[in-house]
Amino acid sequence: MGIININELKKVYTTYERGSSFLDTVKSLFVRKPIDIEALKGITLNIEEGELLGFLGPNGAGKSTTLKILTGVLYPTSGKVDVMGYTPWKQRKAYVSRIGAVFGQKSQLIWDIPPLDSFEMNRAIYGIPSQDYRRRLDEMTQMLSLENIIRKPTRQLSLGERMKCEFIMAMLHAPRIVFLDEPTIGLDVIAKEKIRDFILEQNKRGVTFILTTHDLGDVEQLARRVVVVNYGEIVFDDTVDSLRKLSGIKKRVELATKKELPDLSGMPGVQLTGRTSPCHAELELDMEQLELNMFLQNINQNYVISDLTMSDPPIESVIKELYTQKERQPVTL
Amino acid sequence: MIRALDIYITSMKNSFAARMAYRADFFFCCIMIFISELLFPLLTMLIYSTGGTFPGWNLAEVMVLQGVFMLSKGAANLLFFGVVYNTLSRVREGTYDLLMIKPVSTLYISVASGFEPDSIGTVLGGLLVIAYSLGKLSQPNAMQWLRFALIFFLSVLVMFAFAVLMAATVFKWVGNSRIYEIFDNITAFGNYPRSIFSKSFQNIISFIIPVGIIAFYPASALLGKDISGILPSICICVIFLLGSLALWKFMLSRYTSAGG
Repeated sequence: MGIININELKKVYTTYERGSSFLDTVKSLFVRKPIDIEALKGITLNIEEGELLGFLGPNGAGKSTTLKILTGVLYPTSGKVDVMGYTPWKQRKAYVSRIGAVFGQKSQLIWDIPPLDSFEMNRAIYGIPSQDYRRRLDEMTQMLSLENIIRKPTRQLSLGERMKCEFIMAMLHAPRIVFLDEPTIGLDVIAKEKIRDFILEQNKRGVTFILTTHDLGDVEQLARRVVVVNYGEIVFDDTVDSLRKLSGIKKRVELATKKELPDLSGMPGVQLTGRTSPCHAELELDMEQLELNMFLQNINQNYVISDLTMSDPPIESVIKELYTQKERQPVTL
Repeated sequence: MIRALDIYITSMKNSFAARMAYRADFFFCCIMIFISELLFPLLTMLIYSTGGTFPGWNLAEVMVLQGVFMLSKGAANLLFFGVVYNTLSRVREGTYDLLMIKPVSTLYISVASGFEPDSIGTVLGGLLVIAYSLGKLSQPNAMQWLRFALIFFLSVLVMFAFAVLMAATVFKWVGNSRIYEIFDNITAFGNYPRSIFSKSFQNIISFIIPVGIIAFYPASALLGKDISGILPSICICVIFLLGSLALWKFMLSRYTSAGG
């Protein structure tokens, strides 16, 4: 039994077809055709306490719907959810005092006043004793280097500074689980690094994180386990390393030769991905169709290899493949 | 209870601080609201100066009634009417989710975070009109003040019920920006003594939509007029309030949030 247990979770939305032409718009004033959208088709998932889970999927896959149900914002159509012994949408008030959330595109800070005043609001809402509040605030502002920032009006802060303040907002009440929805969106590398370090530090202290992001750097540097949803279903659930191994049958090769290379894309199992000069090519090789040693031997004999770099395809290409496969069966390794 | 008060006071301080970021706009808004709210009393003065009257009410008495209406509306706008705009904008933008992940009643947090300092102009205007008009009448005794205070509390409760009712509807009718106008038009009848309306319309504003309790009954109590018909209106007030709270709960359960 994990800290989060989801069983056969389904959510169906009813929306209305409105059309795009002027005639459709006029018609929609009188008659609207309802459409049922199956956002979640029966998700089953268990998450252990202290995990840092990457929850991925393309836009409209069902990630945010799952997060909204897990944070008690939405009622599901059917299925069971048990988080720390609570059913989020039934015991909302008691439950949400034990969770935190950071939404990269929805701010909890009040725009015209300093973040410190917004933190004060959360102190009152969560009923945090003054001593604990002071201690946690000092500790987090130090960790995130925000000591001189939190007294400036929010509107004068950079995006990175605001996002760091969002983390303080979400964690002042010491939640056991924190939901992160695209927490590093639009941030520069320095701010991303600081926030990632903060998440890792909090995770070491036992906080469970559910991370939704389109930034695969977040996933590679933070998550140990990855769940990919698509079309309302889980299509991958395993470690980040296993996700990388999905691409094991392909290799990226960067070749430099002494003689001019021909167009190699005609060869079976070879895909040309880049060409900067006649003697230089970037290729993706499919090992199922091609013997690597035979290929290299052939190239060396005919064109003389002067330099060679080999690597696994980046995690992006694996994720892209998972995202573009329609109605596929769950991937197991 | 202490926590609820702490939340409200902290939110109130934050609203003031946020509004003070644009001080010139704040003072300008207060003055504009104050002037626009004086429209009804000025119209009344115009009617009486041309020889017209409201049956059973002299000019100063009608001014007291309209002052009470302003005071009730001002208090409502200042303390909790922000819940309507707050809910309206948050539901449309999908940021209502942020209130739902707080461990307090969503209605309470919506009310608390909707404190509107600009409405202080209406409150001051109401107090000024009441004070000026009472100066021209015999002074109310302690019992009249007590009755007024109790009925004025009901008046504010009716305003609260209106606010909750309107805020609840925006969960379904997202972006209903005309909602304030509908409210203003309905409650505008509360600016006049009941005696100017037909019997059937008096029944509507007493027993269906309790507009009469907003200003007519509190002003009558303060002026020592007959308020013997108030009991059914009080019952309607309570039903109206409970109905609006039930509607809020129902509509909140149908909240669908906005896209990812």
